[in-house]
Amino acid sequence: MTLYGQAIISGVLIGGLYAMMSLGVSLSWGVLKIINLAYFSFILLAGYGSYELAATQGWDPFVTVVAVVPVAVVAGALLQLFFEKVNIGEFESLLVTFGLFIMFESVASSVWSADFRRIPSTANPYASSSLKIGGFAFATPQLSAFITAIVVGLLVKFLLDRTYFGKAVRALAQDREMARAFGVDHRRVAVLLAGLASATAAIAGVFIAMSQALFPGLAVEWFGIVFPVVILGGLGSTLGALGAGVTIGVVAAVASVTWGPSYAPLATFVILIATLLFRPEGLFTRKASV
Amino acid sequence: MGFPIFYLLFGYSLLFWFAQASSWNMFTGYSGYFSFGQGAFFGVGVYTTGVLAAKRGWPLIAAVPVAGILSALLGLGLGFVVFRLRKLQGEIFALVTLAVAFVVAAIARVSSKIDGGSGIALNEVKLPDFLGSFPSMMFRLGLIIAVLTVFAAATIQHSRLGWGLFSINDDEAVAEGLGVPTFRHKMMAFGISTFFAGLSGAVHAVQISYITIEDVFSIRIPLFVIVMSVLGGMRHWMGPLVGATIIHTLTDRLNRAGDLDLFGGNLTLSLSHLNDVIIGLLLIVMVLAVKDGLWPRLARRRWAALAAFVLGVVAARIWIPDMSPIAKFVVGELAAVLVLLPPPALVSRWSSRSGPPNTPADQPPEAASV
Repeated sequence: MTLYGQAIISGVLIGGLYAMMSLGVSLSWGVLKIINLAYFSFILLAGYGSYELAATQGWDPFVTVVAVVPVAVVAGALLQLFFEKVNIGEFESLLVTFGLFIMFESVASSVWSADFRRIPSTANPYASSSLKIGGFAFATPQLSAFITAIVVGLLVKFLLDRTYFGKAVRALAQDREMARAFGVDHRRVAVLLAGLASATAAIAGVFIAMSQALFPGLAVEWFGIVFPVVILGGLGSTLGALGAGVTIGVVAAVASVTWGPSYAPLATFVILIATLLFRPEGLFTRKASV
Repeated sequence: MGFPIFYLLFGYSLLFWFAQASSWNMFTGYSGYFSFGQGAFFGVGVYTTGVLAAKRGWPLIAAVPVAGILSALLGLGLGFVVFRLRKLQGEIFALVTLAVAFVVAAIARVSSKIDGGSGIALNEVKLPDFLGSFPSMMFRLGLIIAVLTVFAAATIQHSRLGWGLFSINDDEAVAEGLGVPTFRHKMMAFGISTFFAGLSGAVHAVQISYITIEDVFSIRIPLFVIVMSVLGGMRHWMGPLVGATIIHTLTDRLNRAGDLDLFGGNLTLSLSHLNDVIIGLLLIVMVLAVKDGLWPRLARRRWAALAAFVLGVVAARIWIPDMSPIAKFVVGELAAVLVLLPPPALVSRWSSRSGPPNTPADQPPEAASV
């Protein structure tokens, strides 16, 4: 029982990280109609950036967020400007960002090689520390990622639901032409939103660098986590991404405790396929919502 | 065969990519259903050889057709579920096929009857000795499969099935309304496509010789078939062949070129790392600027392209005489690609005296800007 309790706790916590990783892809796909695989590269490169600052400059891993996020925001906004310039369709975006993804992966492997890179434990005291409550361990990196994911998720939700910018975003998501006719500056909203999405990706990268070893092939493995979360949560849905991230995290953790770690991706994909077959709009959204 | 071994192996790899890219394109290119799942079908082929030929001692020749059939069964099973759902079109279909590749990889990793995570060595496989030494046997097997695949792709293109698939590509709802049996057409094309993907994978297993989940199900196979077909053009069976030739010769030369010393040795640039940057960049440029691929343009500007090719080869021969023939071919081919890149509108304005072009190649601007 303790084993399953611990598995569920780890699953919930890692689910927060999954949600952070998926939020950018989900917003970009749901609102901007761009399936941006480059966010996977942003997560990876942000992780490497954090690793570099912590390992060679001796920064505290948490503090690296300050340096990594602005760079990601600028990169994401520039990329979106480029997409606006060439007027890209939903499907072409998948291919174009696949090309970008391959380029970034090759850059990462020529700069940091294909070896595992981990922030040394002297520079990263959090990796091995955990909070113990009643016999259950809450690993510090996952716990802080989970709390951050909740905070960021609620902030984004607030931004989209309660502000004028959010209103413009929702208008765009519903009907792009009509929103434009009513004076929504599509380009500006899109660039701002892409910057926001990149920021969440970069934060996810920092937490990943804190909790595990990095290697260039990692980004491809995230496909198997992020797309199930995005589909399950519903495109463009912030709270959906949180719920789906936790669901996927728990299912993967329980599957790996019950049958062994190799079964975790299998369980995740069974959920993905089942969602696509029976509820393609996602578990956590009402049919008509964004 | 009297060829040097290097050329036989190079030729085999080229034929392998012909088969893979053509098999992918005969479904995706014609129907517009974009599959990221080529790795799954290739992988089923590779692992069928791995299990039947290496673990159970079947001769390779017997394992190959079984591989094709198993791969086609997987394709048909997937298609049976997916093609019935209206919602699984476009990018969702692409992601489902990507997911299938991950699932097949996960099953192979979990099951100790298939791989179990340790990989399979294929050096004990019974090879068909009557086809000659290993390199020439590979070349012959590769040639047979590539010819069959390309023949199937060309036949489908010019058949009722092909016309049906192209109409699905243009507008599936309209095609269905006009009486095209869309479900049956998609199933047939996907079945044939995955059959050849498995066949080609089964032979390729012997070439890899030690198969692991990570290598077989990596993103490389789907990436390369997509880039090759997009580069060459997806609506004609020649497109993947053109794309595969360009990509394979180019990456082969870059991989062999080693390091390039710049600034008197102060900066070394590894050309093999450049490979993926070039592949990615090519994909982006082609998708954004040359939507139809090179083949339609090659058909229209064949003499200009041929002249550029010959000029490139001759120039390479004069400047760097000790270049390998493949490198000279690459130089010529890049020169030809340069001639093909300018958009048709620009070319027709420039050569307006020789009469208007026969057919406008690109879509009208209002269709492109949506």
